[in-house]
Amino acid sequence: MEFFEIFIAGVFINNILLAQFLGNCPFLGTSKKMETAVGMAMAVIFVLVMAGMITWIVDTYLLKALDVEYLRTVSFILVIASLVQFVEMFLKKSIPGLYAGLGIFLPLITTNCAVMGACLLNISKEYSFLSALVSSFSYAVGFGLALILFAGVRERINLARVPKPLQDTSIGLVTAGIIALTFMSFKGMV
Amino acid sequence: MAQSLAKEFTKGLWAEIPPFRLVLGLCPVLAVTKTVENGIGMGVATTFVLVFANLLISLLRNVIPSKVRIACYIVIIATFVTIVELVMQAYTYELFLKLGIFIPLIVVNCIVLGRAEAFASKNGPALSVADGLGIGIGFTLSLAALGAVREILGAGTITIWGGNPVFEMGPAFHPFAFMVEAPGAFVALGLMLAIMNLIGSK
Amino acid sequence: MREMISMVVVLTVLTAVSGGLLAAVKSGTQDKIEAQIFKFALAPAMNQIFGEVENDPGKEKFEIEHDGAKYQFYPAKLADGSKAVAFETKGKGGYGGDVGLMVGINIGNDQIVAARVTTHSETPGLGARAKDDPEFVNQFTDKPLDTNLSLKNENGSIDAISGATITSKAVTLAAIQAQDLYKKLKPEILKNIQ
Repeated sequence: MEFFEIFIAGVFINNILLAQFLGNCPFLGTSKKMETAVGMAMAVIFVLVMAGMITWIVDTYLLKALDVEYLRTVSFILVIASLVQFVEMFLKKSIPGLYAGLGIFLPLITTNCAVMGACLLNISKEYSFLSALVSSFSYAVGFGLALILFAGVRERINLARVPKPLQDTSIGLVTAGIIALTFMSFKGMV
Repeated sequence: MAQSLAKEFTKGLWAEIPPFRLVLGLCPVLAVTKTVENGIGMGVATTFVLVFANLLISLLRNVIPSKVRIACYIVIIATFVTIVELVMQAYTYELFLKLGIFIPLIVVNCIVLGRAEAFASKNGPALSVADGLGIGIGFTLSLAALGAVREILGAGTITIWGGNPVFEMGPAFHPFAFMVEAPGAFVALGLMLAIMNLIGSK
Repeated sequence: MREMISMVVVLTVLTAVSGGLLAAVKSGTQDKIEAQIFKFALAPAMNQIFGEVENDPGKEKFEIEHDGAKYQFYPAKLADGSKAVAFETKGKGGYGGDVGLMVGINIGNDQIVAARVTTHSETPGLGARAKDDPEFVNQFTDKPLDTNLSLKNENGSIDAISGATITSKAVTLAAIQAQDLYKKLKPEILKNIQ
């Protein structure tokens, strides 16, 4: 029940993109086409779940144990950056098919604050390992859901006649605002 | 020399002002601009990181091997971010609480890494500092402007560092809370971007 | 090969310098940060517990080590002239992790003056799921030290917050820990309060 609650809260109520404002650069950058949006969503789910687990272990057994919590920012970003690099190398060698799909999105994930942000949120909520795992997964799914919904709307906007100053990013942000408004109605669900 | 310094500095204030012209670093822009105060606080913290990271990366640009340069930049940036975090915790604790995890997240702000890679790794220290300072001040101004729009429309007042509001709408104005909520951030930024485009295209 | 070595050397030196610099900044700001946490997180809780006090508990605080952990004690002189002491304990196993509880105990009659949830000082402003429900924590007020402060379903005397049993349990654990700590450390506490 507890895990279910964390999951629903992570996907809908505290949606990482629309309620916590994390990961907005790839949100606007990769949402112009459905295909890239799906690729980015998958890459984020993959990396975020792994990063969530590893940073939890690093935080609990290294930083807290040695009483050097002030090194959290430095160590988390290094963990995420090397994880991304490692995943990239691994996929390239072992699963070329998946690499072809996710490859170009992987380097972008290092500076995707959704990953770092979700890891920091897990720590600040003092989750247990399993809760952190569930919450990382739910944040990633929430990210994917919002990104794919948004890409769907954006493909339609491409066909509409938008006033010139509003084109591209500008109308994208206004659309994102309206999607965020619909997500606000999930508040109070848990 | 003085001319090019001035040029690198001023480009951050209009021609490449983030996040409007350089659509990067949107997360803090959307998240912390509920009020002018938070916007300025975030902007100053980011400027500090930008200036010092640019300076150090520029000084070390001939020492850092190109294959591990991104990792080196990240370590340098993360170090300055942590310094900012500790100093804010010690001296501006209330602001530190309000900005929360967005202070450590300066580390993944694409503007900082972007300037390191695109500018500081290719230019001398003086130019790099001018670049960091210009972009940082431009970023601070944008955050303050967006914060002002959202605070005025969402709360009807502007309050900086406690005390009395420095600006207040008349009693006939009914603030709409939408603007200080998440959707308002997206809409306000989108519309401000449109206004910038309109001015820029003329 | 030379490139490889220079890569490793540069990265190692950089990380080492970074770690050293941060350790220096950390130790330079440590006292100031503790003072700020006291002012914004502990002082309001203490204010609610004791009301008006005649001294400055933050300045007169003292530290006692027990079982390898350090505890900060804040002595207070209450408005009615009696002496009290406040300290923070952590209740394990809350819904969102440990729950911090500030407990004030009157030294004269060994009664709990009041208790307040401080949540956790670790990453303030975020994620505190333990809610500061005054009705719930007011159950600790004026309880003598030998009261069983467990939840009612565990034969104790405290009503859980409905729908938040796990959090309530963590809070009671913190309160019980505070009772034990006070009983064991009372001689030392008295030594420090003059």
